[in-house]
Amino acid sequence: MSKEILKEEAPSSSGVAPAESRAFAGLRGVQWRINLGILPPPSSIDHLRRVTADSRRRYAGLRRRLLVDPHVPKDGASNSPDLVMDNPLSQNPDSTWSQFFRNAELEKMVNQDLSRLYPEHESYFHTPGCQGMLRRILLLWCLRHPECGYRQGMHELLAPLLYVLHVDVERLSEVRKLYEDQFIDKFDGFPFEENGGAYNFDFKKFSDYMEDEIGSQGNSKKVCSLYELDPEIQAIVLLSDAYGAEGELGIVLSEKFMEHDAYCMFDALMIGARGSVAMADFFASSPAAESQSGLPPVIEASAALYHLLSIVGSSLHTHLVELGVEPQYFALRWLRVLFGREFSLQNLLVIWDEIFSEDNSPLDKVSVDSDHFSFKLLNSRRGALIAAMAVSMILYLRSSLLATETATSCLQRLLKFPESINLKKLIEKAKSLQILALESNKASFSSAFGGAYNCTKSPMSSRNVPSVLVSPKTALSLLPDSYWEEKWRVLHKAEELKQNSLGKHTPSGKKRWAERIKFGLSRTESCPAPAREEKCKKDRHSVRRNLIDDLSKQLGLEEDAEKGGCFEASNLEDHHSVEVQGEGQNCAINGSICTAEDRCENGSGAVVSEENSSFFPDPPSPPGCGINDHENDTEKSSVASNLSVDDNDDLQRRSPEDSLHRVSLPPEDVSPSPLHENESSGKTSSTKERRNLSGKFQWFRKFGRSSVGEETSDKRGGTNEAAKPPIHDGKRSTADSSAATASCNPHPTSMDQNMMGTLKNLGQAMLDHIQVLESVFQQDQGQVGSLDNLSKNILVGKGQVTAITALKELRKISNLLSEM
Amino acid sequence: MVLVLALGDLHIPHRAADLPPKFKSMLVPGKIQHIICTGNLCIKEVQDYLKTLCPDLHITRGEYDEETRYPETKTLTIGQFKLGLCHGHQVIPWGDLDSLAMLQRQLDVDILVTGHTHQFTAYKHEGGVVINPGSATGAYSSMTYDVNPSFVLMDIDGLRVVVYVYELIDGEVKVDKIDFKKTAATTHSAH
Repeated sequence: MSKEILKEEAPSSSGVAPAESRAFAGLRGVQWRINLGILPPPSSIDHLRRVTADSRRRYAGLRRRLLVDPHVPKDGASNSPDLVMDNPLSQNPDSTWSQFFRNAELEKMVNQDLSRLYPEHESYFHTPGCQGMLRRILLLWCLRHPECGYRQGMHELLAPLLYVLHVDVERLSEVRKLYEDQFIDKFDGFPFEENGGAYNFDFKKFSDYMEDEIGSQGNSKKVCSLYELDPEIQAIVLLSDAYGAEGELGIVLSEKFMEHDAYCMFDALMIGARGSVAMADFFASSPAAESQSGLPPVIEASAALYHLLSIVGSSLHTHLVELGVEPQYFALRWLRVLFGREFSLQNLLVIWDEIFSEDNSPLDKVSVDSDHFSFKLLNSRRGALIAAMAVSMILYLRSSLLATETATSCLQRLLKFPESINLKKLIEKAKSLQILALESNKASFSSAFGGAYNCTKSPMSSRNVPSVLVSPKTALSLLPDSYWEEKWRVLHKAEELKQNSLGKHTPSGKKRWAERIKFGLSRTESCPAPAREEKCKKDRHSVRRNLIDDLSKQLGLEEDAEKGGCFEASNLEDHHSVEVQGEGQNCAINGSICTAEDRCENGSGAVVSEENSSFFPDPPSPPGCGINDHENDTEKSSVASNLSVDDNDDLQRRSPEDSLHRVSLPPEDVSPSPLHENESSGKTSSTKERRNLSGKFQWFRKFGRSSVGEETSDKRGGTNEAAKPPIHDGKRSTADSSAATASCNPHPTSMDQNMMGTLKNLGQAMLDHIQVLESVFQQDQGQVGSLDNLSKNILVGKGQVTAITALKELRKISNLLSEM
Repeated sequence: MVLVLALGDLHIPHRAADLPPKFKSMLVPGKIQHIICTGNLCIKEVQDYLKTLCPDLHITRGEYDEETRYPETKTLTIGQFKLGLCHGHQVIPWGDLDSLAMLQRQLDVDILVTGHTHQFTAYKHEGGVVINPGSATGAYSSMTYDVNPSFVLMDIDGLRVVVYVYELIDGEVKVDKIDFKKTAATTHSAH
């Protein structure tokens, strides 16, 4: 509320109050009262005053009725009221005493909350006057609405309302000081003359008197006519005229009646007069009568948030869902107090300005038809803005949320919203999301609500948005494939996996990793087309991190066993990182199989080292830096290369594990693999997996190589399976290196020369590393690549075979890539 | 708005088994701030029960009490009023107003609560009040015939005290109310 806002309006020349609805922009209290429906849209000052007075009268009546003094006999009671009923110990609920005791209990609860209200602004909120007012208002409201009762948080909704009224009153007193003469009725308090009849009233003397006063104050204010004043000041004056309509009761900005006004505002906010969003609903613990979902309203509203988030930021949404962060954990507080605990008071007032200025009428009748499910929260503009605001807050924290690994850390970040924020941006974003929210609510869902809030399923089914081929209009409307398509792919993929591999533990896990890493690699913000890809990648990135953690833990266990004699491994690791850096510099994530394989080998070596856990963070980062340079590449190549790189990453992950710790591995392998399998079979709620796979397949489809796609899926399967390479990396590495050379060689010239060059470089580097690894392994194991040794391991034989098939497939992939 | 419960002469377990159920249903914890008991409970269990109704419990010794360490008399200040408590068997003749008034002057209290007669009485006397809550269980008394269970609830509010008397007559709870107003904070000096 500042003068600047008002100065924007052209001063109206008429004496009547300005007709624009933002006329009272500077007076938040009045503006909010208008928005909340207590005051009518400003038509005339008189009308405003009358409505104000009415509402105040109602409150005063309520107060008298409900705040009961048991000592005072009831109105019209006889001198000897029925004492059997009306004594203090009476169990009769109707007696004034029991009413009194009930009030006392309520008051105790309210007091508890009030003492903890806004400690940072205690200069205002903890004054006895203010506390007394708050207490009374809350008590009366709860007595008036016994079905809601008092819930913690209501006081936080009320406090800012009272505060804005207080601010208005202060503004009034400022204005009063400046324009004092406007407020004073010149006849009041003027000393009576002996012959002080009106007729003989000595006007001259009066004007002298006034001039004296003005002179003594010595500032620039002049006695000017009311109508020459600024409209805002004019409005304030007229609103505060003690002789206007309804007299003192009608003074709209009045300190005496702050309690009344605050009560009216609070009531309107809680009941949501004739609107869709009623705050009282959020405090209810049982489902509303006409609720479609049968859930308490606040749970439903939180789900609406997630629904909107899934449309807007699906990667973040899936990440949160995966971690098990239910929306109501944080949204409960956000919604119940309308973000009161997340922002400082001044910011909050700005936000509430926006929220209240939105219309609250329900947009369409909530139909009971089970086909059409819509969220009550999103059923009005105001509700949609609230939801949009919440989602924009979540998105604001996007990067830090995606980086978290556990639900508790996620919640910590969500519940501790940062202090210094760009509020304007947040609000703008919320406004843009609001439109989306309103639209989304109209679309019909086929899936039932409830259960796990896997809202991604629902929007996907309802929005059969075409695949990546259609470039998204804005980042907001990115959507993955239709649900069924993805499901098919997932199932198909799983099937292939089963065919190709024998004991599908790690392969699947590895494969997923591959995807993760791959997509994590190409995090290129500037490319609009891969935007969708990015989203998938980001999902996987986060999941990959989880996987990395899991595996690192597993390997950590194995670490001790492996410590012996793995010194060269550390060399390898250096090599690896060097190599990767080199790759990064070459901007070469146009990897060919060579690159992938090479890295894979390095990876395996590195894992062997003591720094097992540290290894895992490495792969993400070097690919990351590689990616950053990658921006100029075409999306095709980036994705394709990522694909291959991922595969190889998978390989490398798996190989060390399997090769080194046969005994300890199987149990550990089981854990990621069933996880993966579950996901790949599309049963679990993780749609990320589906998207990953679908995304991959998408790409291949896009290139019009459906057959190749199948092949690649085969390869994938094989690759995953190759995740169980035998101990004999040495053997494989030779095979790999040969394959690598083979694949590296036939680089078609149809590709960009840059890419060719980089591919070649990579290939060479890979080869070098493969050879180094070989030698290392041979030293390590002390067994010179003899199959006999391998046969000691259960899966060796099979592993080798599978490894070789995997390699072949990888080769095919690389050929494919090279053709592009 | 301080609620003070005054009762006594329960004689549990010797002459009565327990409080009448209708009384018991009315006495719920949380409403009453103080309990003053004239004596003759007689056993510790009764004291424990009263303690559950309100933690602030004051008892004076009656001749049949098994707990010997209760005081003979007690004074306390609640709001603007000074209350005195005594069982009453020490003041002879038993139940005599003038003798009780002597005790009141001796203790220098506004409200004197005594028992022993098992008979409810409430007198305004010399600017003060003398109250006998009777017997809460209606226990037998050698002095009084047809004892009705009764007790007293005082509502002390500033300078005004409202005395509610609860009596069980013919199985029904009857309530009566007496208003006393203290003359503005004058300490009456007996000299």
